[in-house]
Amino acid sequence: MRSTPPWTADLSSVAHTAAALAAAYRVGLASALAAWPVLLGRAVFYGVCLTILGAFWGKVAAEHLPGTLAARLPAGGLGRYVGVTELITLSVTTIQLRLEDELRSGALEPHLLRPKHYLAQTLAGEAGGMSARFAVLGAAGLALLAATGGPWPSVSALAGVVVLAVLGAFVGVLLFTLVGLTAFWLRRVLPALLITQKLIFLLGGLFAPIALYPPWLHAIAVATPFAAHIAFAGEAMLAPSWTQFARALAAQLAWIAVLGALAALMWRAGLAKTLREGV
Amino acid sequence: MPPAITVQDLRKAYRFPRRRAGPFGALRGLIDPEFTELTAVAGVSFDIAPGERVAIIGPNGAGKSTTLKMLCGVLEPSAGAASVLGLVPWRQRTALARLIGVVFGQRSQLWTELPVRDSFALLRRVYDQPADTFAHRRDALVERFGIGALLAQPVNRLSLGQRMRCEIVASLLHGPRLLFLDEPTIGLDVTAKAAIRDFIREQSLREGQTVVLTSHDTRDIELVCERVIVINAGRIVLDQPTDQLRGRFMARKLVRLQSLAPSLNLALDGVTRRPSEPHVTILEIDTRRARVDAVIAAALALGGIEDVTIEDPPMEEVIHEIYAALDR
Repeated sequence: MRSTPPWTADLSSVAHTAAALAAAYRVGLASALAAWPVLLGRAVFYGVCLTILGAFWGKVAAEHLPGTLAARLPAGGLGRYVGVTELITLSVTTIQLRLEDELRSGALEPHLLRPKHYLAQTLAGEAGGMSARFAVLGAAGLALLAATGGPWPSVSALAGVVVLAVLGAFVGVLLFTLVGLTAFWLRRVLPALLITQKLIFLLGGLFAPIALYPPWLHAIAVATPFAAHIAFAGEAMLAPSWTQFARALAAQLAWIAVLGALAALMWRAGLAKTLREGV
Repeated sequence: MPPAITVQDLRKAYRFPRRRAGPFGALRGLIDPEFTELTAVAGVSFDIAPGERVAIIGPNGAGKSTTLKMLCGVLEPSAGAASVLGLVPWRQRTALARLIGVVFGQRSQLWTELPVRDSFALLRRVYDQPADTFAHRRDALVERFGIGALLAQPVNRLSLGQRMRCEIVASLLHGPRLLFLDEPTIGLDVTAKAAIRDFIREQSLREGQTVVLTSHDTRDIELVCERVIVINAGRIVLDQPTDQLRGRFMARKLVRLQSLAPSLNLALDGVTRRPSEPHVTILEIDTRRARVDAVIAAALALGGIEDVTIEDPPMEEVIHEIYAALDR
């Protein structure tokens, strides 16, 4: 009699899990596309941000302030940096609000009555929503670049930026997942959200490229997940190099692993609390 | 055949930190916390046979939803044991999820922005259903529940009754052997309630599914379930066939008449009058002694009737009567 190899069951389970995650991803994508007026509004907002901030940073670069990176930048370089950082920021979904709502209201219960992992399914769905936003905003950004006649980056540089920006956006989704999971213990996630947003603003390079920071602050910033979220992709647009790309990619993948593990630990502890104490 | 559900002395107590008064109350609570314990389920035991349709009823806070959550596996008990389809729910929640269907009347399991069809497609992946088996079961359920025209509509555009039909179909798509329904008719109008009750009963009879239902509506219990477990203050106060309960405690109807005259002079056998404001007459009918249509006909014959409403007595009254009967 032929026996079934033990790994076939595992492989089948992995395939089923992957299919469920892919289905959740498609649902997230479809939901975001179905809400197209919101996407359109977001694209308009992105365009306004780019116009204002691009003009501001263009002026800064044009001044060629001595002793700053701006002095070495081509005109429009910082505008493209802002284009990438805002693209990442506006592509990240509000997963923390969804988690807060479902964990605090008891809407989590129907999800726990399914055989698939709630957090993994939720992350896959949010990744789908993020993809839709990223694609629409990316297209809007390129259209704006073409309309303003700005200098185009090379195809290879653009491809590198896209990879780092997508991974950076996913780092952001994981950061906000951690914020959302605090709802297991906190009544409101707003304080954790505000702290995270401020750290992203300062250490992530949303306020200004972290290359402009003093060396000690720059060293701190690049060692945080906030730079992996925003700054690395933006800087790849400013000064593309394969060495920098490889370093940024490695850091992003490492942060995705660390933040993912942290999210899994928080989920496990929070779920145990919920099953014990109820919602 | 072993029972579908076995419950032995199941208990659940919640412990809450007590908030102290005063400006430094929160700080004192951190240093020297005090707790309040609330017993939601104080030891319940019962068996449910495969294919049986059982209602767990009781007033708000009686412990029925807590019991249901423990049986589904989304809440761990403080003490006691339970087996659902041979599994311990809170230890084998994921495995149990493949065998049971659950509908929470006040919570949706569908994706609200998406068409119903897409939610069903995602559930196929979540439950790892083969495409052909799933399609066959989905098509049969869609036809039986009459939701074919709703499949292309986003869930957030459905009426509550339509959504509930879709929710029940969603809970059956993976072919569960047991169905838990928590307040499935809450908020529905009379027609939608009747449709849902018919669907649940027919589905259970056709597929041999075990059904455990909680409700505040005595008609849900009468029309769907063959057995009733009454819970109050976390304990079972009555466990008997619905027929017996109906005869003893559900043989009443309330008829509310709005009239031009301040009061109606209506005296019939088996009918008692309840206190009410002027121009409104509330009649309590013992349906073993008087027919509802006969009472309404007698009222209409008086003339000047502007509105008629027929209601079941609230669950709290039924429970109160059960208590009174047990005390006698």
